[in-house]
Amino acid sequence: MSAFVHHLAYDFRTGIRDRSKLLMFYLFPFVFFFVVGAFMVQINPGFRAVMIPGMVLFAFMSSALQSLPSALVQAREAGVFRSYRINGVPSGSIMAIPVIGALVHMAIVTVVIAVAGSRLYGGAAPASLPGFAAAAFLSFLAYAGFGVLIGVAAGNVNASILVSQLLYIPSILLGGIMVPAEMMPGAFRKIGLLLPASHSMRLFTGLAYGGATPWLSLGVLGASIVLSFTLAALVFEWDSRAAQPCRRAYLALLVVVPYAVAAIVG
Amino acid sequence: MSDAMITVRNFRKCYGATVAVDDVSFEVRRGEIFALLGPNGSGKTSTLESLEGLRRPDGGTLAIDGMDPTRQVRRLCNTIGVQLQTSALPASMTVEEAMRFFSSYHGVKPRFDLVERLGLAEKRTVQYGKLSVGQQRRLALAIAVAHEPKVLFLDEPTAGLDVQSRTDLHAMIKDLRSRGTTVLLASHDMAEVEKLADRAAILLQGRIAATGSPRQLTAAGNQRTRVSVATENGTLLRSAAAFPEALAAGSSGEYAFYRSSNPGRTVAAILAWLDTAHDPIVDLRVERPTLEERFLEITSTGKGAAA
Repeated sequence: MSAFVHHLAYDFRTGIRDRSKLLMFYLFPFVFFFVVGAFMVQINPGFRAVMIPGMVLFAFMSSALQSLPSALVQAREAGVFRSYRINGVPSGSIMAIPVIGALVHMAIVTVVIAVAGSRLYGGAAPASLPGFAAAAFLSFLAYAGFGVLIGVAAGNVNASILVSQLLYIPSILLGGIMVPAEMMPGAFRKIGLLLPASHSMRLFTGLAYGGATPWLSLGVLGASIVLSFTLAALVFEWDSRAAQPCRRAYLALLVVVPYAVAAIVG
Repeated sequence: MSDAMITVRNFRKCYGATVAVDDVSFEVRRGEIFALLGPNGSGKTSTLESLEGLRRPDGGTLAIDGMDPTRQVRRLCNTIGVQLQTSALPASMTVEEAMRFFSSYHGVKPRFDLVERLGLAEKRTVQYGKLSVGQQRRLALAIAVAHEPKVLFLDEPTAGLDVQSRTDLHAMIKDLRSRGTTVLLASHDMAEVEKLADRAAILLQGRIAATGSPRQLTAAGNQRTRVSVATENGTLLRSAAAFPEALAAGSSGEYAFYRSSNPGRTVAAILAWLDTAHDPIVDLRVERPTLEERFLEITSTGKGAAA
């Protein structure tokens, strides 16, 4: 078994063994889904249209924004990366493997939400499963890119939590997850374009629910994925005890460029 | 020296405006245990971590088995084994997983015999975060030597270990040396260095203050050999007798102490004096200065001598 596969298998197991990961990967998304799903369909029947992609996105955000960044910062601060480096673990594996591991967990969560959402709450089932899978895959990578970038650029756990929340809370409120974007005032819709969640919801609508192909959102998420992982590789530090703090950390802010462009032209 | 496994020449390491290591040079031969001694902040860890490729030197040259640690990182990983002073494994990784994980990155089979030898056989399924500090350090050592590195770096290897673990670890280090492994050791424990190291360098404020074998280092100091004598009648305790090349150094209980620059002459004179005084000897001890005393002498005066 290659080192990469060993590493990935270990990382996947920690998704269940590690309590904080288990909470963010499974417990929190499922509890949110079952509780919110139960009353939102009563309050707002229109919620059924966005329920499945919305709850799937919520799970992605929980894993990618609430778990990934702090896990990376904590590992760096504890000296885990130093142990990795002297034993030949590549920096690419340190960033890629948690993403792949989380992706597998999120695939499981997505299937559960898609099946239970439509059976239990009458959530709109996707018209195209491949389109749904593609939209989910790209959306997860976009959030995971943010998560990894925050994890490698943040100086400490508190900073990573703060930045993650700056993305997480507006995404829930303005990203079309709880309320369809069409029901929001124009200004909020515009602000929503600064968030990956809005583009992910457009992607689900276009690719999985028979809407027009959302080329702008496709381009924004694609650019965001490439930018975030590239910037993460540039900003990555093995050691939080480096003599001088990484002067490239500010480069991470460039990841907002595609979203800013979308908000201007969209 | 053609058989050098570790070469450090004019090494310099700075942190901002602070010079942590300045113009340090030494070589470590194949199969040798070389110790770096020094107070906190003397530059031991900076030197070690630069050799391990974790830090970039600001001057001078470093080589491990002919490799530049800053450029040939991948090759270096399989040549060296490292037990860091400050490192950790993921808290949820079990002992068994850790051995498999790192062995896979070195491309070798996991060495569970080392896990057993280091007293972790019953901890194979225990997560790293639930191990004691001593167990964590033993696991780090097992991982460091699992791929049979040519050069082993140990930073305070016995810190936090109990007496038995310390003895086992010393035996393991000696065993590694006997099989040709070169060991570079940073330690605060003078007794450990005296027991294990073939040669040592004492670092002080980022510079080498003294270097040589532990015996050479202690011999080069101003400390005199201590002669302790206990007799049946305690005549030495009541006498002001003077002995050649020795200074009286007080007494404790039934022992009279002397500091001698020529212990052979001093002891001979004491024996002759006691024979004349008809006072039989109960105990006689001749103790050369310890490395710890020499270390304290160097760190307090800031002066050493290269052997």
